[in-house]
Amino acid sequence: MHPFTLDRPRDLAAALALRAQAGRNDAPAEYIAGGTDMVQLLQEYVRQPERLVSLAGLLDNRIEIGPQGLRLGVAATMAEVAADPAVVEQFPLISEALLNSASPQVRNQATMGGNLLQRTRCPYFRDVGYAACNKRAPGSGCAAIGGENRWHAVLGTSDDCIATNPSDLAVALVALDAAVEIRGAGGSRSLPLVDFHRLPAATPHIETVLEPGEVIAAITVPASSAARRSHYLKVRDRASFEFAVVSAAVALEMDGARIRQARIALGGVGTKPWRVPRVEAALAGASLEPQSLRQAAALAAENAHGRGHNDFKIELMQRAIVRAVEIAGARA
Amino acid sequence: MSWVGSRVKRVEDPALLKGEGRFVDDIHLPGMLLAAVVRSPFAHARIAGIDASAALAIPGVHAVVTHADLPEAFRQPLPLLVPNPAIRYPVMQHVLAKDAVHFVGEAIALVLADDRYIAEDGVDLVVVDYEPLPAASDFRKAAAAGAPAAHAGRADNIAAEFAVGYGEADQAFARAAHIFKEELFQHRGAAHPMECRAMLAHQDTLTGTLTIWANTQAPHQLRDVYCRMTGAADDRVRVIAPNTGGGFGSKVQTYPEHIATAAAALLTKLPVKYIEDRREHFLSTHQERDQLWTVEIAVDGDGKVLGVRGSLMHDSGAYLPWGVITPFISATTMPGPYVIPAYRMKVTCVFTNKVATTPVRGAGRPQAAFAMERLMDRVARELGLDPAEVRRRNYVPADRMPYAVGLTFRDGSPVVYDSGDYPACQQLALDRAGYDGFRAEQASVRAEGRYLGIGIGSYIEGTGLGPFEGATVQVTPGGQILARVGSSDQGQGHRTMFAQIVADRLGVGPDKVTVTVGDSGGVAYGIGTFASRVAVNAGSSAHVAAGKVREKAIKIASHLLEAAEEDLDLGDGRVFVKGVPAVGKTLGEIAAFANGMPGFSMPAGITVGLEDTSYFTPQRSTYANGCHVAVVEVDVETGGVKILRYVTAHDCGTIINTMMVEGQVAGGVVHGIGNALFEWMRYDDDGQPLTVNFGEYLLPLATETPCIEQAHMQTPTPLNPLGVKGAGEGGTIPAAAAIAGAIDDALRPFGVKITQVPVTPEYLLDLIHKKS
Ligand SMILES: Cc1cc2nc3c(=O)[nH]c(=O)nc-3n(C[C@H](O)[C@H](O)[C@H](O)COP(=O)(O)OP(=O)(O)OC[C@H]3O[C@@H](n4cnc5c(N)ncnc54)[C@H](O)[C@@H]3O)c2cc1C
Ligand code: SF4
Repeated sequence: MHPFTLDRPRDLAAALALRAQAGRNDAPAEYIAGGTDMVQLLQEYVRQPERLVSLAGLLDNRIEIGPQGLRLGVAATMAEVAADPAVVEQFPLISEALLNSASPQVRNQATMGGNLLQRTRCPYFRDVGYAACNKRAPGSGCAAIGGENRWHAVLGTSDDCIATNPSDLAVALVALDAAVEIRGAGGSRSLPLVDFHRLPAATPHIETVLEPGEVIAAITVPASSAARRSHYLKVRDRASFEFAVVSAAVALEMDGARIRQARIALGGVGTKPWRVPRVEAALAGASLEPQSLRQAAALAAENAHGRGHNDFKIELMQRAIVRAVEIAGARA
Repeated sequence: MSWVGSRVKRVEDPALLKGEGRFVDDIHLPGMLLAAVVRSPFAHARIAGIDASAALAIPGVHAVVTHADLPEAFRQPLPLLVPNPAIRYPVMQHVLAKDAVHFVGEAIALVLADDRYIAEDGVDLVVVDYEPLPAASDFRKAAAAGAPAAHAGRADNIAAEFAVGYGEADQAFARAAHIFKEELFQHRGAAHPMECRAMLAHQDTLTGTLTIWANTQAPHQLRDVYCRMTGAADDRVRVIAPNTGGGFGSKVQTYPEHIATAAAALLTKLPVKYIEDRREHFLSTHQERDQLWTVEIAVDGDGKVLGVRGSLMHDSGAYLPWGVITPFISATTMPGPYVIPAYRMKVTCVFTNKVATTPVRGAGRPQAAFAMERLMDRVARELGLDPAEVRRRNYVPADRMPYAVGLTFRDGSPVVYDSGDYPACQQLALDRAGYDGFRAEQASVRAEGRYLGIGIGSYIEGTGLGPFEGATVQVTPGGQILARVGSSDQGQGHRTMFAQIVADRLGVGPDKVTVTVGDSGGVAYGIGTFASRVAVNAGSSAHVAAGKVREKAIKIASHLLEAAEEDLDLGDGRVFVKGVPAVGKTLGEIAAFANGMPGFSMPAGITVGLEDTSYFTPQRSTYANGCHVAVVEVDVETGGVKILRYVTAHDCGTIINTMMVEGQVAGGVVHGIGNALFEWMRYDDDGQPLTVNFGEYLLPLATETPCIEQAHMQTPTPLNPLGVKGAGEGGTIPAAAAIAGAIDDALRPFGVKITQVPVTPEYLLDLIHKKS
């Protein structure tokens, strides 16, 4: 770990000012919230900020549910949100995604904001022993493309980076049309979460549309009947304490035995949380028959591109969609 | 009553549970320096130069020690501890890299500082000028002609070649009704104890004694290696293993870091501590990793085995600290519990630019069991027989014990299975698992689209290898009963076990026996804790020594009480006259007499002290055996495998403490589950490790561990006075075989055959895809 100073500003304005002095990524100053991802990256020398600006106590941690929907203060922990009775009842997808993430210890410490901004698990990114990683060291190349890439993305990749976004929460939220409230020195703005993360393209080191210094302040999720009839399916190498190989977040509005509207997002396969509108369109009006589900799910594979070790994910994600829709559809 | 055989609670646990355990890192000596290690980032490189000036300029950095800075005796490679004539290039690692590095993580320099933070800052500033060289990574590619040389200047990467066997294998194949062949790739990852390596060295200026505290499984070996390299006298060096958080084989070896830390203490004249972190553990603590088996089995029309032959390729890594022990054990374990009339296995050990491989719990046996059991399952499938029946037809029957296999084991003695009833052991496991009822259940859930399967793994395990282990039992005039054993404990509960054995001989409760383990100062000679050998060797020594103390106590009491020895008995810490318990002497009183009185002569025939030291030297290994049955469910869409039930039947001879044996078996099975499904130490083509934390290297967790249902058999061995066989590794040995068999069975409708462990989801999906 490189030496750094830790600032604990009194209010958000002071924090924004401190951080805004710095550049966009791998900047001399960084925010830290629960620290569960940041400290690991510091320990492994992946991030080497001169100064850390603590967000502790500066941001809202309330969980509010009203007729409009759900509002999560970003400082709420994964454990608090997962266990909130109203979330469990009205937005089970969010609770399931969180309970399938990390470990109880991590969930007690980690915040909503930190979760959406956690960095990829690409082993080359996380090991400074590898010189080539465009995300860590822009312009250095990508060790994963010709290397071990079973963990990597098959959707939204570029020739410069094929890393997945590892957040389970983000996948569930994207399926539910969530938005993020962003606050910066210049004021606030709100943005659909699906537009928050960027594709890697030629600049994989820039992962979100946050401007230097900006923070996420809250997450909002619109009320919908689909949110109740939902399922988060996570396929992973080990039944707990492990990131997704493939995951599918599904929320359904049913019309008797037929699907009126489906909202589906995938994890573990995309360079960002991956919504599949073509699959959703094909499912509108469809029954829960395996045949029609499979046909629709196949559309997720359009433009999917494996790199060898991760080829299996293309088939696996379609099966995950089918199973998640079946499970959600069977729910009352 | 007898304490041996009772479920005595572990004497170790209260302190550990209360946080009062003392591990190496809990020891703080005045003036102590903390070391951090400069390690190679390249799998293979020449070192053109090292510049430590910037590191030395940091306030708080005391020294940077490189190869060139070491005292002359330390500027050499570590000795090859287990030589073997088959070794072509006995390459050993230097204490600190001399002019080249051969794996990522090889130690190059020690930075010594006031604290670890400063030491690590220093490591960042040591500039090493590397000239990278091509690396040998995958052992299969490295074995081929023209592959990059793991050690520059060598013509090839073949470290050793040898063959083991007996009988006329080729003739057996010539007359076989059926021959089946498999190519099996097996990866075993590493040991991964929760506590990484830890060491602290300090030379006492008053006595000149160098003390090394290390969480080693073999304190005497560490002392002996140090003395052999430096010429120091045995009694000037003491190695103490305090509480240790697991070892599983990885802490048996004397590592370059041990010797380097000791050298640093001598150079700085200050205590030096080095605590390995987890990333370093992934890089530079020995592993077991890869083997490739190409094996064939010849059977007659009834599925009776006529012969087995094949070849085994083993990834040795960059150095050979323990020679070719692991593949040797693999090759000599292959015949397993079966009558194999003819057997031949050719072994090739391959150098790669990866950390060395040495035994991990099971020590090459799990791979042998996997190979043999895969062949048994194959025979069953091809001949349309039940896998249990094929095994039944081939087990060594109980009435052929002792059974000479025809092989020579690593200690040079013939492989002779001393005792056991293998068919009965399988039956016990099958009954517990409800084997006969399983097919109906399997069929009924398959109708729902679920795939359940059952698999069997049988094994034998050569345990209790010699040459010896020592124990001293002593009674003090204050009445304390002390037992000192050289071998160290990594959590197994050795102190409890020794206390039970000594208590039985001296007629006291185990709580009255104070046991010291893991101190080379405790007994003069010792070997170490590995190969399931401590209960057999040190346990027998404690039994014999306590018996001698008992005899002597009775002899002295007979003198003091003026009663014949036959008329005396021992109980409750006293020797008394049979039938007249009030007339007697306590063991303390007897010890006081044996320790003599100033000015008085010792009575004729009585030697000094109520004490004995024994070194039990077993004639050859004892063979434990067992049979595991696994029931799994396979998700054919995701490739996920869930273990629904896991049953073990196990025979380790006399059980000293059932609770502790159950702990060993359960822990061993979990290791085996890791090998079967999860643990994979991945490297890229340049020899760069890819899985260097527990996020990427998956250990099984509670969610992957079923309740392990255990049944025990006890067939005492005639080879030691306690009748015990080893119990530390049997849980691991057949687990991957049983689980792979169960997966095969579940996927029968697809005709899938598992030929690789670990079984990953994508591997399974690929197999299913190819078949459907
Ligand atoms: C062992 C382990 C297993 C895990 N498994 C999973 C899993 O299965 N699924 C999963 O989804 N996650 C998993 N995680 C990741 C975990 O969810 C994240 O580490 C956690 O959510 C990060 O939250 P934090 O508050 O600790 O963030 P920090 O580590 O404090 O910060 C993370 C990043 O977010 C930035 N940041 C934090 N808050 C804000 C804000 N309000 N505005 C702007 N920037 C901000 C920080 O600057 C930093 O860059 C795992 C983590 C660990 C350690
Ligand atoms: S995939 Fe992305 S994060 Fe991984 S090595 Fe390539 S550039 Fe770096």
